[in-house]
Amino acid sequence: MTRSPRRDTELGLLVLVALLTAGAYALASLGRSASLPANIGPFLGIILGLLLAAHLVVRRLAPNGDAVLLPVAGLLNGIGYVFIARLDRDLAGLQSTWTALGILAFVATLVLVRRARDLERYRYTFMLLGIALLLMPLLPVIGRNINGARLWVRVGPMTFQPGELAKVALAVFFAAYLVEKRELLSEFRISRGRMPHIRVIGPILLAWGMAMVVMTAERDLGSSLLFFALFISMVWVATARAEYLGVGGGLFLVGAFFAYTTFAHVASRVRIWIDPWTTASGSGYQLVQGLYAMGSGGFGGSGIGLGAPGRIPAAATDFIFAAIGEELGLLGTAAIVVAYLLLVGVGLRIALRADQPFEKLLAAGLTTILGVQTFIILGGVTRLVPLTGITLPFVSYGGSSLIANYILLALLLRISDRQAATT
Amino acid sequence: MDRQIRRLGIVLMGLFVLLFLQLNNLQVLQADKLANAPGNTRNATRDFSRPRGIIQTADGVVLARSVDVDTAFKRQRQYPEAELFGHVTGYFSFTYGSDGVERTYNNLLAGRDINVRDFSDVLADRVTTNDVTLTITKRVQQVARDALQGRKGAVVALDPTNGAVLAFWSFPSYNPQPLSGHDQKAVQSAWNALEDDANQPMLPRTYRRSYAPGSTFKVVTAAAALEQAPDLATKSYPTLRTLDLPQTNRDLPNFGGSSCGGALPALLKVSCNTGFAQMGMDLGTDRLTDEAEQFGFNAAPPIDLPAPARSAFPAKNSQPGLAQAAIGQQDVTATPLEMALVAAAVGNGGSIMKPYVTAEVRNHEGRVVQSAEPGEWKRAMSPENAAALRDMMIQVVNGGTATRAAIPGIQVAAKTGTAQTTGENSHAWIIAFAPAEAPKVAVAVIVESQPGLGDTVTGGRIAAPIARAVLQAALGAP
Repeated sequence: MTRSPRRDTELGLLVLVALLTAGAYALASLGRSASLPANIGPFLGIILGLLLAAHLVVRRLAPNGDAVLLPVAGLLNGIGYVFIARLDRDLAGLQSTWTALGILAFVATLVLVRRARDLERYRYTFMLLGIALLLMPLLPVIGRNINGARLWVRVGPMTFQPGELAKVALAVFFAAYLVEKRELLSEFRISRGRMPHIRVIGPILLAWGMAMVVMTAERDLGSSLLFFALFISMVWVATARAEYLGVGGGLFLVGAFFAYTTFAHVASRVRIWIDPWTTASGSGYQLVQGLYAMGSGGFGGSGIGLGAPGRIPAAATDFIFAAIGEELGLLGTAAIVVAYLLLVGVGLRIALRADQPFEKLLAAGLTTILGVQTFIILGGVTRLVPLTGITLPFVSYGGSSLIANYILLALLLRISDRQAATT
Repeated sequence: MDRQIRRLGIVLMGLFVLLFLQLNNLQVLQADKLANAPGNTRNATRDFSRPRGIIQTADGVVLARSVDVDTAFKRQRQYPEAELFGHVTGYFSFTYGSDGVERTYNNLLAGRDINVRDFSDVLADRVTTNDVTLTITKRVQQVARDALQGRKGAVVALDPTNGAVLAFWSFPSYNPQPLSGHDQKAVQSAWNALEDDANQPMLPRTYRRSYAPGSTFKVVTAAAALEQAPDLATKSYPTLRTLDLPQTNRDLPNFGGSSCGGALPALLKVSCNTGFAQMGMDLGTDRLTDEAEQFGFNAAPPIDLPAPARSAFPAKNSQPGLAQAAIGQQDVTATPLEMALVAAAVGNGGSIMKPYVTAEVRNHEGRVVQSAEPGEWKRAMSPENAAALRDMMIQVVNGGTATRAAIPGIQVAAKTGTAQTTGENSHAWIIAFAPAEAPKVAVAVIVESQPGLGDTVTGGRIAAPIARAVLQAALGAP
């Protein structure tokens, strides 16, 4: 095993994360029943074990990778777990299984992807994979409607949200495709009177069309917005042509307006956003309960286990941030926001330092997924933007989300390892 | 691409700054508004789950206590005396809030007033709840209930010297237990059943229901004459069977077609309508209104229970209106509590003390954290005039309409009343106090909607025995 100061830093941070999580877990139990949880020993052991395993794999397979990514993700995962356990014991058992699987996926990604640029060759495989995953819930037999959105696939006893994985696959495809076509795409200049060629505008229309299909057929506003924002920002980063932002933004607005006037579920979301109070006991109930929870938490929070977040619908998934806001207050929510900002900052630094265009673009794309997804759900819960039901990365309950985000994390770590090794 | 990546960073950072600002807005600026919004039941849940002090009677009978249970809410409120004290304790309901003492003393019962004294208080699991002791005894309350015998009405007894309530019974009453349960569906159906009951069992008739006071109001009219027009107090009114009301073609009759007249003591003794009606017209709107307000009309009594009703004496500008108002009819309304205070004023030398139901509040260690501080609410008349009026009310018991209120060996002073309601029914009233020379108890009794008309049929016959029983019990007489 190689000596690596970065890995020692990571190990130190991970121990800190394990202590923090165990402390929060103990506090949650004290808050609920005034006694320490009986399983605090095994619990601490499992967390430490999982994080340590991930750390050892990184030490071996990406010894020069960034030291902050894994601890920050571990912290978010740990805090999320504490709140899920506090809200629903059954979900907590599942979430710990999913966490183990997520870390397994993290390890598998590091094992399989020895160099990030190897992925470039499989661009069309990833495209097909991404589209297939994205549209899979629409298939008969295995597709499932849950809470009005058709995002789920059910095979036997397992339900899965393939859209989460589709985002990572599509980010790989976009990065490879855009690096290949960036010269051609850069010719798009309205100022010089060059009208966009069909080869230029074609992919944008395709991506837009896909976003619209997801929004209307799967009723998933959040994923649709995330997917399209990812595509447009990657095109822009690759070509430096602001025209793409304009055309893309315009197309999305047209699509959104069309959806607002045509589809009841879209119009309803917007109405609730503008005025949740008049529908506080009906369609706006969830949002209003979330706002009550955060307001009741105030600056310092009620303390873990001492609030009443149980009355927020979907508190363990879409609205876990409101539960955190009630029990940890502004201090806790600000800490969570800062943790994500840290992930975004590290991700973009990795993108800046990558020496290959593909890796640069991929790192930027993956970071955009993390940042935009976090903003969409947190903005929705805090009523900054209309609410869409997507998961909060690493924190929300959900297997697909955890696995996808740990794969994303492994890819970022892999890119940072390569650049460190070559410099 | 690097420039774009940096700009992407700025955009994403901008989005997170917006989030951070919105979080500050929600969790600091709007925090109180959101935390106390009507739809936010967190405060109620917290109160519902935490320990809560007991409510007990002056003779130590527990009326409300919280016991540990193993449900979502950690504690269950119990009311061992059920409907006997339902209107006083009120309920403590997750769905419907609270009422009665549970409401007025919520912060003390829940221990929410406590200030953290030092850091160890934060960590120690210290009991902070307080126990409330009422001024009412179960013994007297039970006598009041038994005497009313399941007829609709109310009984108020209080100590005229300090305002302490000794009995506060109204029928029908209700058991607060089902409203304070944990099964919200059951709570809801119990609530709906009570709300839909035409007899209004949840209405505390003692202090939230106003009735026409009828002839008991003549005490106020008499005080107005004594205080504000001594010439009228000594004037001899003609003996009449009916009084011809000016500006109308209606006559105002005496009860049972009898004739009466004379000076104030004689008028009060037989509850002479014609005399008092004429006296009201002689007094005029200003003087009668002024005196009524000195007795507490047109104001809510400062009792330590939620939402007491005002008793009303709306100014009358017409002569026939004044004639009716002077005998407690038409738009004059009074709660039983208010009429008990009228009796107390006469007995207590003209001074009305603030009424209260809670004697003291003690913390868990038994230390008194709050105790009743008797204070004057209104000054209705001079001690001399109060004594004069008291002597007249003694005559009402000794040889007038309230002979059934008499207690052997103890002088009682009283005034009966009958308030006409629609049709042939009328409310039977009495106000009284005893011992007349140095009263320890003042009572007001109303029995709703008794068939028949007139003082001897109702006030003296129906209400007076109830008053006597309650006075006797409160005085500790056998």
